[in-house]
Parts: sequence; structure tokens; C-alpha cells
Amino acid sequence: MRRYDLITPEGTKDYLFEECALKRIVETKTRQLFKSMGYSRLITPNLEFYDVYNLNSRYFPQEELCKLTDNKGRLVVLRPDSTVPIARVVATRLKEAMLPLRLYYTQPVYQFAPSLKGKSTEINQTGIELIGSGSKMADIEVISMALSVLSSVGEKIAENVNFSVNYSLELGDVRIFRELMHRLNATPAQKEEIRSLIEAKNYPALNDILDKIGEHKITNALKKLPTLFGGEEVFERAEEIFQDARIAEILENMRELYHTVCDMNEKGNIIIDLGLVNKTDYYTGLVIKGYLEGYGEEVLSGGRYDKLLSEFGYDIPAVGMAVNVDAVANVIAKKYTPKITAPDILIVAEKGCEALAVKKAVVLRESGLCVEHFLETDFDLAQDYARTRNIKKLILISSEREQEVCIA
Amino acid sequence: MNKPLRIALTKGRLEKDTVKLLESLGYDCTAVHEKGRKLILSIPDGNLEVVLAKAADVITYVEHGVCDMGVVGKDTLMEMNGKLFELVNLGFGKCKFALATKKDYPFYDGFGIKTIASKYPNVTKAFFENKNMDVDIIKIEGSVELAPLLGLADGIVDIVETGTTLKENGLAVVEDVAQISARLIVNTVSLKMRQQEIENLVKKVEEKIHGKTN
Repeated sequence: MRRYDLITPEGTKDYLFEECALKRIVETKTRQLFKSMGYSRLITPNLEFYDVYNLNSRYFPQEELCKLTDNKGRLVVLRPDSTVPIARVVATRLKEAMLPLRLYYTQPVYQFAPSLKGKSTEINQTGIELIGSGSKMADIEVISMALSVLSSVGEKIAENVNFSVNYSLELGDVRIFRELMHRLNATPAQKEEIRSLIEAKNYPALNDILDKIGEHKITNALKKLPTLFGGEEVFERAEEIFQDARIAEILENMRELYHTVCDMNEKGNIIIDLGLVNKTDYYTGLVIKGYLEGYGEEVLSGGRYDKLLSEFGYDIPAVGMAVNVDAVANVIAKKYTPKITAPDILIVAEKGCEALAVKKAVVLRESGLCVEHFLETDFDLAQDYARTRNIKKLILISSEREQEVCIA
Repeated sequence: MNKPLRIALTKGRLEKDTVKLLESLGYDCTAVHEKGRKLILSIPDGNLEVVLAKAADVITYVEHGVCDMGVVGKDTLMEMNGKLFELVNLGFGKCKFALATKKDYPFYDGFGIKTIASKYPNVTKAFFENKNMDVDIIKIEGSVELAPLLGLADGIVDIVETGTTLKENGLAVVEDVAQISARLIVNTVSLKMRQQEIENLVKKVEEKIHGKTN
């Protein structure tokens, strides 16, 4: 019995007309941007061996992976992320290529979302990876792309369609957290709990667990870590809390970066959050997140991942970011609905004149017009059809003549 | 004027406690008192908008960002596990999750797999996973106390306030699972996009709460 033949799996959907057009608008705009910065596109397979994602530096919960087996019974997954397979490609086929490598992609990622929460299993992403450089300029390049994506969300959507969307770009650095945790005397389980509480900015519970561990400089600093977000003032507050040479150096670099980013940015809001500590990240330094007004989650995220490629046997630094195309399209959809335009001309062929009609249509299309064939021969029916479809002009091709009719 | 900050309140007791808290901070909550059947109410002088919802829905609305903040019990937060910021322990709505069985029932004895009835299967699962204990969990919607009495389950994991219901039915707490109270939650994007407004409110709330306990 076929029970599920008329629906799609939860968390997936068919994109029709306007939805499809919006998605393409976002993809095309970001693609143009990436290309204009010298990035080349690559496509990785939708299927990857599970082993590719079985990493030390990032944990993919197995219940969230879409798993299959190949014809030899080996475990295969629908890619849950695009950065890992790109690391694999670079560490193998591109190992001899000149560095840095600038790569971009536009492809979906798959991760089972919790049921009935309105989240997607299939998320369309577009992103960049800048591989082989650990320099400050590499970080700045990626941040500048993120800013361009965010600031241009409402720009040039279509001819004469421009609107503004408020955005924020957030910068963090996971090394501050790592430094502190490295010096904290606690069990791995406690450390993981502390991390999750910092991530959730759960101040009361964080204070409780740290009080149990003891009261000293490190625990006091960890208590303050999730509160350290906002603008420039964050650095002053952080300097008071972290009196440590290594952390001071990280902060100093970050502050410099923050100023550079503020200088390049014109209208958005740049924020710092020293409490960005996501468990599932392979990030080793800078982390970035982008927010748009009207969307409840980040629409863009990225960072520096200097250890990921070494897991595939090629020890080089890298930095990148990914945009959630569906989220951005969702934000645009609140202010703009793409118009699906009707064809300019409908061609009706009398019986026996099909070849003539096709030739005529080809000529018209070459001049830039959108031409549709009417599939029957009845002229009256064709007029009704054109009216309903909102096609303004009709051409009748018969053996002796060509007749043009304007449809009111 | 900015768009008002939207705060979702858990209908019922938490709503009343939160309104009391807001009033003590000087907000005019007349609209909430005279709500009738309305579900979205405004507190104009605070540029706030109150939304009334069931506990689990408060989390859903805040997680999706259609509400900026919410007040919800830790019990529902533990069961739902959403991605949001849990900024303040408001202190009211206090109770606890506990494992209870029939009085003097040797729950941890023997090698058989135990059966637990609960309205909170995720909380139950996490609790026993932490103990490396395999258990069968049965979801019950109503009075969970019935399950061990009828012989369906060895024990229950449920919210315990005073313990009266347990006592009257010959049940007793074996072990506490977690302490519960009302939390102020915030959407992860709202906190960043509207930091100033939210921090001002949070600061006022915290001062009030700590003032009370000291």
C-alpha cells in the first residue's frame, strides 16, 4: 500500500514559482559577490561516507544525520555540512594547488530537525572557504563578504526594488573560552555543562556550578564570559576581568579587528560576543554570526577552522562562512513577492503550419521576447487562453499569412 | 518609537506572578487584568506587548523569534530543550522534579528493567541516561500517580510541590531529579539586536528579585 506517495518528508518542501524565484535571487546575488572576489565554485556530492564526518574537532549527533548504506553496505550520509567535504577535497585532489584557495558553493545540507517545530531538514546554503592562510587579512576578507551579504539583502532585488533590512554582524573568538577551560580544574562532564550554560547564557545555573568548583580568578572570569557582549565597551570590561597575558593578546587582536570591521561597515551594527561557544563547531579562533531583523535565528555563520584540514592529512589554516539561503529568502518574502511575468507572445499554428510557427517563435525569442506556443489549433480558444494568462499579443500562423492580434 | 518588545507569559500562576513583578517595577498592567479573551495585550508605558500562551508554546514562540522574551517554568524548558538564552531565575513558581514510587518500594533493587511513567519523557530519559540505567518510559497525560498504583509502572518522574498528592496515594519521593522555578528566556537574535532595551528590563527585574531575597 502506498501511504506516503502524495507528500514530502517532514522538514522538506517543493519550491514553486515565487518561492523558487526568491531562492534564486538570493543565490544569484551572493554568487555574483563571491565571483567578484575571485572565488571559484565547486560542487561536492550530496552523498558522503559517514567517516568523513566522524571527526575529532566537531561532533555530528548520529540521530541528526540522514543515513543510507551504499551497495557494499557501507554507511553513507546526506551531507550535513559543506565545509567538511571541501576540507576533504582540498586535502586530496587540491593538495598540490597553489594557496590560498578561494572556493564557494551553493548546495543544500541535511540534518534531521526536531519534529513539529517548523524547522527544515533540508537547508539551502551558499558559502565561501578561504583556505591556506592564517592572516588577519584573510579574516577581514571573509568578514567583508559577510557584511556585503547582510547589507545588500534588500538591494537590487528586481528592477527598481530596493529596501533596507536592519542587520547585525557578531564577532567572537573561541580561544578565550578554551584558555580559561584549559586552566580550570574540573571533570570533562563539568566542563561540558559549563560550556552549554555559557552558550545558553544561563547565568544563574552557571554561577551555581562554578561556585561548587571553587571561587578563584578562573571561575570568576568564566561567570562573566557570557555577559561580555555588546559594542566597544566589552573590551574594557574584558580587560578588567581577564588579567592574563595570553588572553590580553587575543583581546588586543580582536579589538584591532573590531575597529577595522567598524571602519569598513557603513550602516549595520557590529557586535562582540565573547560567549560564543558552540559545541558542534570546529572553529579554532574567530567566529562570526549574522542576524537580520525579522528572523529568529542567525542567517549567516562562520569562523576560522585551522585544525579541520589536518584531520584529512593536510595541516593548513582556513576560514569561511555560510549563508542560510532559505532564511534570507524568508526575510525578503516579507517585503517583496516576485512577479512571475506572463510571456510576451502566444503563437497559434493552423493545422500543417507547425514548422512555420516554430521558426517564427525562434526568431522572436532571439530578439529577447518570451514566446509560448498554443497547443491547439482553435483561434478563439487561443484568445481566451491568452486573456486568462495575461498574454498581450497573439500571432496566428496560417499557410497564407501571419496575423497579429492584440489582446485587450 | 521602536516596535514594542514582545514577552510571552505562561498562562495561569506564572502569568499572575509575572504581572505582579512587572507592576512592582512600575509598569501599568491594566490591559492584562482586563484582558477578557484577548491574547495579545499592550503595556504602552513600557513599550511592551504581553502574549499569553501555554508553557510549551512560550518556548516555541521565543525560539522562533516571534516573541522576544518569555516567562516559563524550568520544567518545560528541560522537557523541550530549545535553543535560547535563559537569562534570569525569577525565583517564583518553585517546585521540583522527583522520582517517586509506592512507599518503601525497593526501586533500585534487583536486575530487571524498571518501568517509569511520566508526563515528561525527555526529562526522565536524561535522568536515567545520566545514571547509565536502561528504563522503559511510558508517557502518561493525566494523574501520573495512578501508574504505580495500578501496577503499570515501578515509579514516576513528576513535579512535586508539597508532596500531598503523593502522600495521600501512598507514594513517596525516592530521589530529587531537579529544582524548578520560573525563568526569563530571551530569543538569541533579539538579545543581540535589541540589547539595550532587554538589558534594561533584565537589570530592573534582577534588582527587584535580589532586593526581595536579601
